[in-house]
Amino acid sequence: MTTRDTGNERFTGHGPEWRDANLSSEDARIATSWVEQKIDRRSMLTNKERVEDVRDIMWQLEKDGEIVVHRVSDEHEPAMVKTLYGWDKKVPTRRLWHHKSCGQCGNIPGYPASLLWLMNRLDIEYLDETDQTSCTAWNYHGSGIGNLESLAAVFLRNFHQAYVAARAQGLPDAYYYPLVHCGTSFGNYKEVRGYLLHSATLRERVKKILGKLGRLVDGKLLIPEEVVHYSEWVHVMRDRIATLQEIDCSQIRATIHPACHVYKMVPEDAIYDDQILGGNRVAVSTGILQALGAQVIDYSTWYDCCGFGFRHIISEREFTRSFAIDRKIRVAIEEAHADVMIGHDTGCITTLDKNQWIGKAAGKEVDLPVLADCQFAALVCGAHPYKIVQSHWHASSTETLMEKLGIDWQASKAEFVAYLEQVKAGKQENLYDPRRMITSGPGYIPIAKRA
Amino acid sequence: MTHATSSRVQTHIGDPVSEKPAVARADLEEIFQDIQSDLRFDHELNGCLNCGICTATCPAAHYYDFSPREIVQLLWTENLEGIYDAMQEKIWACAQCYTCAARCPFGNSPGGLVMLMRETAIKHGMQSAKNVLRPFSRVMLKLISTGNQLAPDMINRDHFADWGPNISKIDAPLKVLRKAIPMPTLNTTATAWEVNLKTSIELYTIWEETGVLKQLETIDENLFDVISDIMDEKREDWKDWLADQEDEQDD
Repeated sequence: MTTRDTGNERFTGHGPEWRDANLSSEDARIATSWVEQKIDRRSMLTNKERVEDVRDIMWQLEKDGEIVVHRVSDEHEPAMVKTLYGWDKKVPTRRLWHHKSCGQCGNIPGYPASLLWLMNRLDIEYLDETDQTSCTAWNYHGSGIGNLESLAAVFLRNFHQAYVAARAQGLPDAYYYPLVHCGTSFGNYKEVRGYLLHSATLRERVKKILGKLGRLVDGKLLIPEEVVHYSEWVHVMRDRIATLQEIDCSQIRATIHPACHVYKMVPEDAIYDDQILGGNRVAVSTGILQALGAQVIDYSTWYDCCGFGFRHIISEREFTRSFAIDRKIRVAIEEAHADVMIGHDTGCITTLDKNQWIGKAAGKEVDLPVLADCQFAALVCGAHPYKIVQSHWHASSTETLMEKLGIDWQASKAEFVAYLEQVKAGKQENLYDPRRMITSGPGYIPIAKRA
Repeated sequence: MTHATSSRVQTHIGDPVSEKPAVARADLEEIFQDIQSDLRFDHELNGCLNCGICTATCPAAHYYDFSPREIVQLLWTENLEGIYDAMQEKIWACAQCYTCAARCPFGNSPGGLVMLMRETAIKHGMQSAKNVLRPFSRVMLKLISTGNQLAPDMINRDHFADWGPNISKIDAPLKVLRKAIPMPTLNTTATAWEVNLKTSIELYTIWEETGVLKQLETIDENLFDVISDIMDEKREDWKDWLADQEDEQDD
């Protein structure tokens, strides 16, 4: 335990009856150890009543003929994991429909590109298509524009599209299973799924809308058996990903920023593993970093959010940058002597990466590379730092990290700059056949007409 | 109310020594009724012992005059004036991280309750909501008209000067850099990914059917008009495409 030197200053707010107990450091440590235990262990999440597994309701509703469940089938080769309460969760590992993130694709595109690159290397079949919207939850949480019905309708529309998308390739329904890239989409969709399963009124309202859109299955709402985040796929594939590793990262000190909407929203669905940090932290990201041999270093503010705030990152960044620097980046540097901060969500990566430079203006100079777990994995598995990891979109000093990994980033950057000439000539390299990305409407080329 | 000693409470709730409230009791009741009638309300509010664990862990409470404990208490005790006051400013401080919800021993979700209050502030066209959301209009235009919240052409040094000089560390036209992303869906500049026209049309139906456009009209009529025009244009494009398909089939 560290004690901050505050001179003679005492924190106020205790009330006039407060008297200093004058405990020794050791006694103070013992007296407050229960608080630390509570904060350090996932017990703060598990000591709760009224937690139910909504999947029980889901199976009953299907039995009653009210809904159809999009199953994680054997063809998706699921891996089983344990969640907060020790429940099982099925994570599909192949035939995946990429549900992209607007923040990742718009701002840090190396995030999804690295994920697809890893899938290519592992020969995983997937579809990345244009028929999807974002979950709209960033806007909702930021502005209040939207409501439960709109969120539910968007969720069911996008997941229905995942269910039928393979038709464009002459393949059956339910061929692909949706893999959600964004942490907020993941949390929001799980929350909305819970409300849909609980509320017949909500189901009735959105059923009318989905009916208008032609998005019902046998006249019923389609509900996914599991809502799966990409970090969960990375987690269950971590040992296979590690077989691709080309660059040793055992000297790298990594701090993990777990994303609030991944494990605090619908916390009962987050993955925990007793072998990973004693089961006291959500397992994703730490699992892959450890599998790759990096040192995962804990820090005291691991539980804090990043400061994104949804509205704040757009219109009140004084809060965002203060929180990101003071509560996350500086702590990771000073306590953990981190070489990198690894995250698994759109908003967190953006916030932590982009809000360091401005610290100089307040005399808070910080410098810590920030990457998503799949970007780090791709990097040490030999992905091109610019063509694939797209590290040029990161404001933080990813170059410092690359130097520690022994990557000649200057040579890679020069290669990429030269490659841009090829791109200008329309000869860019893609991770998949572009003809697959349009599955209906303008631009769709039926299979029979494809060369 | 402009005299020197007026407080925010006086401005929004009324002078405590005056017998005439600034907001009629019936209006306060209607606002609370709207919050309470959301089906999430009973799920997100189960009781409160004022333990304050939510506020202790709240990022917004570090920097703002905001306390999730206070929000829960106001709703739990049905303090209508206090609820109205909190809707003027405080609810917009919440960072929506749901740390409070994960920690609350009662299973409350103060962050979730804040969302119900924000939705209600919009429904009632509160000036506070209009003020707070004005800088958000660019984002809402993008999201409602395209289904993407964030687009590459929104991230530039004019709008994000505080992000420093490294928005892209390679100096090349945005269009070229986007073409160099090896996912063809991402070779775009005006949306985060290429969105199928059919997808946009379906999204517009969702907005209409769920009252989102009405919310928007209440808060920002000009933005609503701009978005309506975009929607009309895209719907025309879709009709034209469908007609072309029919013609092709006839041929």
